[in-house]
Parts: sequence; C-alpha cells; structure tokens
Amino acid sequence: MEKNVTVSPIAKSTLIGQRVKKPDAPDKATGKTRYINDMVLPQMLIGKVLFAGRPHARIVRIDTSAAEKLPGVYAVLTGKDAAGLKFGFVRDNVALKDKVRCEHDEIAAVAAETEEIASRALELIKVEYEDLPGVFTPEAGALVGAPLVHDNFPGNKSLHFEFKHGDLAAAEAASDCVVDSVFRPHHVTHCCMGTSCAIADFDHNGKLTIWTQTQYPYNYKMDLAPALGLNPGDIRVMQPPVGGAFGSKLDVYPYEPIAALLARKTGRPVKVIYSREEEFKAAPTRQAAIIHMRTGCTRDGVLTFRSADVLLDNGAYTSWGPTIPVIMMRTTSGHYRVPVVDFKAQAIYTNNPYAGSFRGYGNVQTTYATAQQMDMLADMVDLDPLEFHLKNAQISGEVTPQKSFLRECALVECLETAAAASDYSRKRKAYAAARDKPGRYKKGIGLASSIHNAGGAKIHKSDGIGTILKVDDYARVTVITGASEIGQGIDAVITLIVAEELGVPVEHVTIVNNDSDIAPWDVGVHASRTTFIAGNGTRRAAQKAKAQILSAAAKMLNEPAGTLELRGGFVVRDTCGTPLIELDRLLRRMHFQNVPELVMVTDYYEPNSEPEGAKHISDHSAAYSHAVHIAEITVDTLTGEIKVDKVTVAQDVGRVINRMGLEGQIEGGIAIGLGYALSENMRIEKGMLRNPCFRDYKLITAPEMPPLDMHFIESNCAEGPYGAKGISELPTIVIAPAIANALYNATGVRIFNPPMSPETVARAIFEARQAGK
Amino acid sequence: MQEITTYLAPRRLDEALQAMADGAATVLCGGTDLAPQTESGARQYTAKLLNIRRIEGLGGIETKGDKVRIGAVTTISEIRCNPMLAEIAPVLVEAAEHFASEQIRNAASVGGNLCNASPAGDMIPPLLILDASVELACWREGAVQTRLIPLEGFFVSPGKTVKRPEELLTAVVFDRPAADFVGKFRKSGPRPALEISTVSVALGACIADGRLSNVRVAMGSVAPTPLRARHVEAALEGKPLDAATWAATIAVAVAATAEDAKPIDDVRASAWYRGHLVRVFVEEVLNEVRGN
Repeated sequence: MEKNVTVSPIAKSTLIGQRVKKPDAPDKATGKTRYINDMVLPQMLIGKVLFAGRPHARIVRIDTSAAEKLPGVYAVLTGKDAAGLKFGFVRDNVALKDKVRCEHDEIAAVAAETEEIASRALELIKVEYEDLPGVFTPEAGALVGAPLVHDNFPGNKSLHFEFKHGDLAAAEAASDCVVDSVFRPHHVTHCCMGTSCAIADFDHNGKLTIWTQTQYPYNYKMDLAPALGLNPGDIRVMQPPVGGAFGSKLDVYPYEPIAALLARKTGRPVKVIYSREEEFKAAPTRQAAIIHMRTGCTRDGVLTFRSADVLLDNGAYTSWGPTIPVIMMRTTSGHYRVPVVDFKAQAIYTNNPYAGSFRGYGNVQTTYATAQQMDMLADMVDLDPLEFHLKNAQISGEVTPQKSFLRECALVECLETAAAASDYSRKRKAYAAARDKPGRYKKGIGLASSIHNAGGAKIHKSDGIGTILKVDDYARVTVITGASEIGQGIDAVITLIVAEELGVPVEHVTIVNNDSDIAPWDVGVHASRTTFIAGNGTRRAAQKAKAQILSAAAKMLNEPAGTLELRGGFVVRDTCGTPLIELDRLLRRMHFQNVPELVMVTDYYEPNSEPEGAKHISDHSAAYSHAVHIAEITVDTLTGEIKVDKVTVAQDVGRVINRMGLEGQIEGGIAIGLGYALSENMRIEKGMLRNPCFRDYKLITAPEMPPLDMHFIESNCAEGPYGAKGISELPTIVIAPAIANALYNATGVRIFNPPMSPETVARAIFEARQAGK
Repeated sequence: MQEITTYLAPRRLDEALQAMADGAATVLCGGTDLAPQTESGARQYTAKLLNIRRIEGLGGIETKGDKVRIGAVTTISEIRCNPMLAEIAPVLVEAAEHFASEQIRNAASVGGNLCNASPAGDMIPPLLILDASVELACWREGAVQTRLIPLEGFFVSPGKTVKRPEELLTAVVFDRPAADFVGKFRKSGPRPALEISTVSVALGACIADGRLSNVRVAMGSVAPTPLRARHVEAALEGKPLDAATWAATIAVAVAATAEDAKPIDDVRASAWYRGHLVRVFVEEVLNEVRGN
C-alpha cells in the first residue's frame, strides 16, 4: 500500500445507463455559449446574398456598378465570379448562378462593413430577368416536352434507384389481399434555431479557414473544394457550437462558398448569416415525394410482397434529398418479413426548393406508407394489427432481401411491450366500436413501427472514426475525436465512456472535436451512427490507455499483471477494490521516471459493415434497430384538430448509455415527427414559399408535446459499445403513421397527404360523411 | 429604408397629439405588430417614432356609471387578469386568454390590436359584440379634440381604419352589458399559444323569458375586416331557447353564416375550411350561450 492512501475500498460501479448531463448544457441554458452566429472576428465583413425571388428565369443583364460605389462595400460578386465552379452530388450547383432555377437562387453577393450597408448594396443591384415557364411537380417535370431545369439533364431526370427481389407477379397472384395507395409526403424544413451561418478567411498562402455548422467536417472539405477551385487539403474546417443541424448540415450549401469567395476577393474574414426568412427559403427541405405503394398478404395475414414506385421532387439542385431511396428501399424491403420486393425511385428536377438530408432520411416518408399499409391489411384480414405485426415480425438472425443481417432483433419485444403498456388491443376495439356513435370528439389509438440502421450506414468508402486520447499529469483526459457535436449529445456519451473506462469523473474529460486540422477523420454525424461509431472509437482508445496505465502500475507497484483496475481516481485491486495509488500520482511517476512514458493513444475504428454498393445488396450497417410507437389521440371531428394524449414508445436501443441523453433524443425526435405529422408544411405555390415564418409555419410547441411513456428494450448488440445501438432517427420516423393509424381508428378516415392538419382532417371527415349519407 | 431620426416618449396626451399633428409619426406601444411588420418590410417606419406607453391616463380599466372604458395602452395581460372585466364582460377575458402568448400578451395593447386592423385581431370580435366604440383624439386649433366612432365602422380593410394619421386611439368604451347578457368567444387553432386564428366567432345575447334578444354576432378572418354578422343576428333575434325548436334555430343561424362570412383562400386556410369553421363555431357558441 502506497503511503498517504487512506481511502477505503472502492466497489465496482458503472456509469452505463446512468443519467449524465450534457457538458455543454449549463453554458447553453445560461446563454454563455458563443454560437457561430455570435462570432465576430477582427476586420470581419458581412456578406449578404441577393436571391432571385422567382422560380425560373434567364438573367438578361445584371448591373452592380451602383452597389460597388456605395461606401463601405468591399466586394460585389455575381455568377461570372463563380463560373465553372460546379459542386454538388451531380455537379449541378454553383455558388452564384447565371440562370434562375428556384426562388432562392443566389444571383449576387456583397461584402460590406455592416449588415445595413450590405442590405443597401443589394437594393442597388439591378437585375433584368426573362421569366421562363417552370415545372412545379415531379409529374409535370417528367412530361415529354416539359421545360428543362438543367439543359444537360434531359427529361429533368435526376437520380434513379431500383431494387427487385423475388417474383412479383407470382407473389401478387398468391395474395388474397392487396392494398394499393398513393402517399404524398410533403415539404418540411429543419428549423434549426441557429440560422445558417459561415465565416470564411484566407491566409496569404491561399489556405481557407471556414467556421461552419457542418456535421461532416472531413467530407465537407471534399465537397466544398470544387465550389472554390481549391484542393480539399487547403481547407481548415472549424466547428463552433451550432444551434441545431438535424441533417441539414450534411452538405455544402451556396452561402458557404459565397462567404469564401467574398473572403478571397476582399482579403478579410467574411460572415454570411441568414435571417429567419432567408433560412426558410434557402435552407434544404425534407424530400417531398409521391409514393405509390402496394402490399399484399394471404388471408391468414402473412405478407407476400411489397412494391413501391416513388417519384421524388428533386427541386432545382441535387443535394442529399434525392439520395434518400437508399434508405427508402431498406424500409420497403425490410420493414417486416417481406419475401418479394419491387422498389424503384426516380427523382425529377423541378423549380422548387431542393431537399437535403433530414433526420429519418427517407424512412420518415416510407414508414408513413408502410406502417399505414400494415394497418390497412390487418383491417382487411380482420386481425388485430398487433397480431398482424407479430405474425410478420423478424427475429434475431434473419436477413432481409437486401442482406441486412438482423443480428440482435427485438421487434417482437418492442411490439409486445408497447401494446401491453398502452392496453392497445382493448382500446383499439373499443374506439373502433364507438366510431360511428354520436359525439363530436373521438378517441383513437394507433400502432406503428419501423426499422432503421443503428450501427452507421456504409454509404461512403469508410464508416470509420479516428480517435486520439491523452491523459495528462493530473489525470485529466482529452479526447480528440472526429465525432461532431451538433447538439445531439455525443460529448456526454464520450465523457461517460471515458469516465467508465478510466475511473475518472466525467468533469475531468475534455473533448476536442471542432477543428479539422487537429481531430482525426470521421464520416460525420448522420445515420444514427455517432454513439455507435464514436462510442466504440472512444472506448477502444480509452481501453488502450487503460492497458498502458495498468501495465505501468503493475510494474511500479509490483502487483501481478491483470489484477488491477481503475476506479474513483485510483488504481485499485480489481477483486477487493483496495486503492493502491492515486491515478494522477501514478501518471506523474510514469512521466517523470528514468524511461519516461506519456499516455497518448490513437485508434481508428471501422465497423464490420459492408459498403452499400451499386446494387444495394449488402449488410450496410453494423446494427439495425426497431421502434414501436403507440399514439393515443382525441379528434375533434368538426374542426379536425388532433390532440395527442399520449405516446408509448418501445425502442430497441441495444443498451442504454446515457439515459438522460436517450430520453432527450426520443423527445426531440418525436417533436420533429409530430410537427411533420400534424402541422409543419412548406406552402410552395409555383415554386414560391408562401409561409417563410414561424407564424405560418407551425412547429410543435412545448404545450403540445404529449406525455411519453418510454420503454427501452436492451437487445445487447455485440458490435455496439457496451451493447448500444444508434437511436436518434427512429423516434422521428415512427410517430406520424402511429397518429395516422390512430386517426383511422377514431374516425375511419385515412390521410395520405400529410400533414394531418386540422383542415385536411376536417375535410376528409366531412367528405367521408357526405359520401356516407 | 427610412431612418428614425426622432424618438419621442411624452408623458402628456397633448404633447403626443402635437407631435402627431403633421400626420407623420409612427406610433409605438407594445410593438408586437410593428416590430415584425417593419422587419419583414410590410410596413415602414417614418422618421418620427412616438412611444405612447408613458402617457398618463392612457392606460387602465375603469367604469363610470354604466360606461366601461379601457385605455388604449392597456395590455392584453391586464385585460386577462382584470377581476372587474371577468365579472361584467367575461368574453373579453376569454379572448385575452387565447391571445398569442404570455410574452406577447404582456406587451401588446388593446389599442394596438384594434389599430393594426387585422381581420384576425383577437380582441375585435368580443369588443364588437359589446357594441364598443373607439375614442380618437387629435390636436386641432390649440386643443385636444376627441371623437367617438363605433367599432363596427372603424375598420376599412386589412391594416386600414378610419383613424386619420394625426389621430390617436385613446380608449375603447362600451356600455356595461345588461345583467342577463351572455357572451362567448371561440377561435380556431390547435396550438395553445401563438396561433393566428383561422376563424373567430363571438356571440352575445340577452337571455330572458326563455328567449334570445339583443343578439350580437361578430366574426374574424372571414372578410377583409372583422364584422358584425347581421344575417346571423337577424336569424337569432327573439328565438326561444326551448329544446323543441333549438335544433331548427341553430340550423337557421348556421345557414345564415353564408350571408355574412365571405372568406378567402390564403396560406393559412381555404375558404371552404373557414366557412366550415364558422358554421361549427356559431353552433358551438350558441350552445354555450344557451348553457348546453
């Protein structure tokens, strides 16, 4: 026993599954956090963008001379300053345009001393347009002879996806019941509380530093570089705290290269920040689509096939939106045991705002269709939907037609848990029986579920993450990681895992993940992957450090190797918990001994998933997960208002890591999903957004959040950190169809064109009653 | 963009009216409409910004004889929490309950809500069924001059009233409702806060001898201005409350809404839905007034 150590034995304990606060929470709650939006650099200019304000037009001439002469203006840029600098998935976008393809197209940009001067300069730019006929729906865009959005994309055809498995005709013939419906999921947008913002600055070696809200800093370099004619290696990405991302910052949007072009032109840092109205118009949307889905089953309620023919409203440019079929087809083929699948999707350019990635990534739209068709089929074969779901539910070890290997599958447990907790079957029967009785207010209960990747998604060449971990002389740990914090809570997960492995307080862990010149590579925050991937990376790095520390300790303390552990800031004997030496003292001894030893380790973790591949037949995620939502609602059948009384959630989370973070992610995900289901709607008329403000674009507010009864099913994923799976997208995906099914239970009405706004619901009920008369 | 060169915050009404005499001042009270409207460009500031909040005598809720007077700068929160109004004109309190959000209610004034002249202004239908008038003051010939305009005749079109640029709305006044007067207000919107009404309906009537009399019905967001629904009123005047005829009475009143409500399609709702909601709300408030 080392002298001075008088602490009693330290028992084994675990932080896994505990409630650990987000390290950034106190500063955010008190207003101390300096978001990117608050940042001011010395000599910084303000950049502002002139938007077209029309959906489709030729630019006849543009005169910037008056704006250039305005005192305080340092640069005015137009399409010619970005000519040839194409960027985007299919290189169809450019920072400043020479033709107008959608309302928010960036026509010119100015850098000025103040925002006021920049705004005045924009007013002084004279642009003469020649309006062109536009296409505003994918159907119209696909018509022969339709106006072309891009001359080099004939037929307005953007991306195309297909997946077929099994003999569709035979499966249809073997089906006793088929549901056939067309769903029209709508445009919504992320509504990050921090509006889009970037600050760009060049040094005299031509290296760009850009402060951005990106959630994928490393591929971001690659995507931004062509918009500026730069080598990606000459871009340093800085990530100050951001006010939300939710998928919207998974691409480069024109304001970012615009900030950089202005910075290059002026030699000064330039900040571009959007107003809320600009944000509504210029930020990406969730992909709107037309989904023609058919699902069949036998009269015993066994699924026979599912087909989906999807038309996507690409909008004017191709960002991540039109790539969502990658995940749409996984749901179509993997949501329950579907033996035969036929999926195809075509994205069509229109003069509408364009879609990006958004939490749920295509699965929100598909599950709105699949989960309603499950309910419809159950009705046709006269089965309790719960029974119908159970009959077709996958179990551990199954492989879907696309080769998703469901190693640990807890769908059955999720279904049974949620149904029992909500008394689903009894209520559903009772509410259905009361449907046609008199009474203005009707109660309904609806069940929905979905499947989603929960161990990353290998759509890039790698789905890995790099981690550097160092422990200093005071036993303070720094984790330098590629994992970005965009509010989702990875910082809390990382501190928890380090504290768990190294036996230090969570407050003694610092995370550096805001500078691409420092932190190692990571794909980015998407696909519900960060807790899974960065959790594994952090754990592996921490375990390497621990092995080094314990090996040194065993040597120094003359203890047998493999008998020591780190607990409560001490090296202890694992079996009895007897403290042998303070960790910080040991670290100093390691450092300042004859053969000095510093604890700093690196790790690169690559999950055991397979690349997506062009045919989309691969085990593309290291884990898959299910969630079941049961929504209980009250419908005002006259006004069409839906009040969500309660939501029961059962989700396979693998293993709870940070319980508080998990609850927060489920609450937040459901809030976004509820807005999608009930009230959020971008009213785009002929390419123009009619409601670019929170007054008319209705987010769910706190009083509308229903009570949530959450059940975490722990399937213990072998590959996941401590058994955990990714969790963040499923809550957004499942809630809308649960409400749609509850609405059917309450009223007999189904809504195929969300949101289920009061007007939509009232009209549907009114028309159903008229038809019934 | 007009720059504000003069900011005035007088304590006395005559000072304020003199400052307004050239008809070129922008009047600021709660600013809950002015700020977003100027921000969005829907409205421009003039060079002179006049804050009327500090003017003495422009706030407060008082009764004098059978007259009730609510000063123009009275906030919606003050109306919502006023025990006297809760007793004599609870329909105003009810409307205040549904007005925007707590923060906005604390800043927004009743005068501002009227002068903003939105077809969706939440305080307007209940004041219309109280048969309120607005007091307009101006500085003329070296003195404060006032005139009283019935609220029903105050509104011209969205954002426009008969108030002249040099006039200030100083108060809204109405006769203390009769003891047997019952008023009810209903606005649409599932959101408990920050909901601009798709449609609103206020209905008031005296209930005596088993009959409706003195029926007043007002509607918001069904026309360019909030309005008195005279056809619905006529359909209801003198109607008995007995169970045997009540369904027929409702049917007649609901049918009459088509004569009064001429809604349009806009970004918030279709004309069909507005018309539908008016019918639903008229039935609902009628039943509430009857005490169903």
